[in-house]
Amino acid sequence: MSNSQRNSFISSLSRRSLLKAGAAAAVLGSSGSLASRAFAAGYPERNIDVIVPTREGGGADRNLRAFTAIWKKYLDTNFEPGFYPGASGRVGYEVYMGKYEPDAYSLIFGNMGPEVLNWVVKEPSFNIDDYIYWGRVDTDPGCLFIGSESKLQTLDDIIAEGKKRKLNVGTSRLAHPASIGMLALAEHTGIEVTLIPLSGGKKTVAGAVTGEVDFSVLTSGTVAAAGDAVKTLLVFNDKNVLGEALDNAPTMNEVYGTNLPPMLSSRAFGIHKAAVDKHPDRFEMLQSTFRKVFDDPEYKASVLKAKGHWEYVNYGGVEECAKFKQAMLELGAKYKSYLTGS
Amino acid sequence: METSFAFFTDLFLHSLSLWWVIIPSIFLGFIVGAIPGFSAANTIIILLPFTLVMDVEVGLVFMVALYCASRMGAGIPAILVNIPGTAGAAATPLDGYPMVKKGQGQMALSISFTSSTLGGLLTTVIALLSMPLLARVGFYMHSVEMVVVMLFGISLIATIASKDTLKGLIAGFFGLMIGSIGADHVYATPRGTMGFLELYDGVPLIPALVGLFAISEAFMVIEGESILSEHSRDRLQTGTWHQTLEGVRITLKRWWHVAWTSLIGLVIGVTPGAGAAIAAFVAYQQSRAFSKTPELYGTGHPEGLIAPESANNGVTAGTLIPLLVLGIPGGATAAIMLVVMQYQGVNTGPRLFMERPELGYGIFMAMFTTYLLMAFTILPLSRYMSRVTLVSTTFMSPLIIGFTLIGSFVPREYMFDMYLAFAFGILGYIARKTGYHVAAILIGVILGPLLEQYMLVALQKSDGDFLTLFSSPLGNILWVALVASLILPAFMKHRQRRRKSVFAEGEG
Repeated sequence: MSNSQRNSFISSLSRRSLLKAGAAAAVLGSSGSLASRAFAAGYPERNIDVIVPTREGGGADRNLRAFTAIWKKYLDTNFEPGFYPGASGRVGYEVYMGKYEPDAYSLIFGNMGPEVLNWVVKEPSFNIDDYIYWGRVDTDPGCLFIGSESKLQTLDDIIAEGKKRKLNVGTSRLAHPASIGMLALAEHTGIEVTLIPLSGGKKTVAGAVTGEVDFSVLTSGTVAAAGDAVKTLLVFNDKNVLGEALDNAPTMNEVYGTNLPPMLSSRAFGIHKAAVDKHPDRFEMLQSTFRKVFDDPEYKASVLKAKGHWEYVNYGGVEECAKFKQAMLELGAKYKSYLTGS
Repeated sequence: METSFAFFTDLFLHSLSLWWVIIPSIFLGFIVGAIPGFSAANTIIILLPFTLVMDVEVGLVFMVALYCASRMGAGIPAILVNIPGTAGAAATPLDGYPMVKKGQGQMALSISFTSSTLGGLLTTVIALLSMPLLARVGFYMHSVEMVVVMLFGISLIATIASKDTLKGLIAGFFGLMIGSIGADHVYATPRGTMGFLELYDGVPLIPALVGLFAISEAFMVIEGESILSEHSRDRLQTGTWHQTLEGVRITLKRWWHVAWTSLIGLVIGVTPGAGAAIAAFVAYQQSRAFSKTPELYGTGHPEGLIAPESANNGVTAGTLIPLLVLGIPGGATAAIMLVVMQYQGVNTGPRLFMERPELGYGIFMAMFTTYLLMAFTILPLSRYMSRVTLVSTTFMSPLIIGFTLIGSFVPREYMFDMYLAFAFGILGYIARKTGYHVAAILIGVILGPLLEQYMLVALQKSDGDFLTLFSSPLGNILWVALVASLILPAFMKHRQRRRKSVFAEGEG
């Protein structure tokens, strides 16, 4: 319909006919909305698969179980986790994008920090805009920590030693926000470090505790869970929100007056972009029920019972997730040469 | 709380009172251990929702009992039908299966159960008494030392190759090449994956295990009517309880062998990241190296069965020590136990022994009780289990292939893994037919990636300086021990031969 046609159509409408049309539109609109809701009400008709790109029994598994245990009440269906670890999370994403239908009956539960950095190191076989993160569960900043028996007991010890020799720093993987935090620290203080990927959080903690490496960097939630065996010296965030659980360690910005953005790992649910486009009603239902979990006292109780950190639970929607993903891609691009060894 | 004799007695009596959890867990663990592809770790994960609602003590006892029993159970198919269900049992068929072929299946199972029980009991007691000391092992066993430990296991390839050096070494190198498939440890760049996403994480162990051992064996035995010769069938059919008792006697007579091989398992188990497969291969290699009859290994020699079974049960206690003392899980099962403990608000590490000593020590006491109860519940079953080998190959082979293909599917639920197991089966069949030892291939597949991982860490730490491998005192001691264990047997053999010839000349 052209503009002139539209104008003549509008001017030809009498007030009454306008009211009639308005009423009809309202009925149609509401019936459309009803139909849409009725359609979404039929969803989900079966269990929802959740692809986890890490091993069973790890932090993601714990996090997912605690969250879905409450979410299923609101969505009225069960969640079936499938674990596809390998190649720093790459396998899980490839499986999700390559083998699951975009019908909103499958989600991916990933870690937006290290897993997005992965795409900078090596592009996946799919277009990274073909999936979106839409439901952030938590944000967990990286930190620097030592084993309780380490010879390097303070940040000053580390800097002094780092000026004498190259320090070995354990990390769960190179493409990790905590690794980037460490590189930024080394750049700022002029110390030399070698990042040693130790394949996973448990081994990274063990590396620092047993003296395999001089110290390690990792997401702080895992470090806090390691208890007295470790001591945190620095947090790569705006604030140490866990306080005593992280030995009241200061942030890098506080100590060095830098302007480092938070180096966060962030677990979030993702979905095929095509599923969002094809089934907006289903996606809406996922989003609305997801949001309710954060206000449910049972969720808080289960996080605390599992010795999780409620301070890190942090709701985020499509917009926040998209911003995070973009920030990670930019950060990865900046440190690409180091992450790829090129 | 004082850890006096009375304290331990109380703990023991208390753990005995939990028999109603332990005994069902033993049978469950025994079954999942015996099914290739299943393991204590994935069973505990499946049952995690139940474990989380149990009382923390009951939940932990359930997991510990299941863990110990599954380790013992994994030896059954390895011995009876040459199917090591887990990597930890990969060295078990080397001598277990030849015993079965001689009609000594019942005795082989009895030896396996007894050495597992004794090894488990001994290492549990040692763990209970010297936990803080043992937890220190991880502080000394770093990447450099672990490279040498891996080489102990890998040197078994040379031992296996002793009958046909070239073929043995080719098989070993082939295994190492297969082991290098997957994303590299530093930059996660895929290598040799041929575009298969399923190989990004390396060649999965279970399909490789069951393919190389079980499926190839099924192809082999289908050529005959039975796994056993006529003579062996008669021997098994007419077998009485005597064979079981004989197995117990043989093992008890070699108590010292059980003791030191299980200690190898304990020490390797304590080292975070190391596991039962390494322990079993190292124990087998060491057992053969210092044996007076190394030529009998691989032919159904009891010591060749005792060594891996004692060692992999020694790992069971060892792997829990870093979890409880330091808060660092030593393996997959320990990691899941940590999940349960954290969920229940129980602290691990030194605080556990200050706040809840009855739980910290209680876990090991439950392990001790489990092994004790297993001796009475499982050992008598060896007579009946060994009858499996009497089943005609017409039924046995399809059953083996069917079960193992399912087993290879279970851990990751990839159809690809079933095809892979089948491909390994064909590879194993060709290897057997042409005189290449499948165990040599498998050692490369299992230990190759671990060696690479430790080697890379060691080299990265030293900026690529290979001399770092000789930079640690403990590492150097291990190097000397490795060289000695490779040279001494040949030297002793040479000396023995010379003595014999001098003696013969003297007589002549």
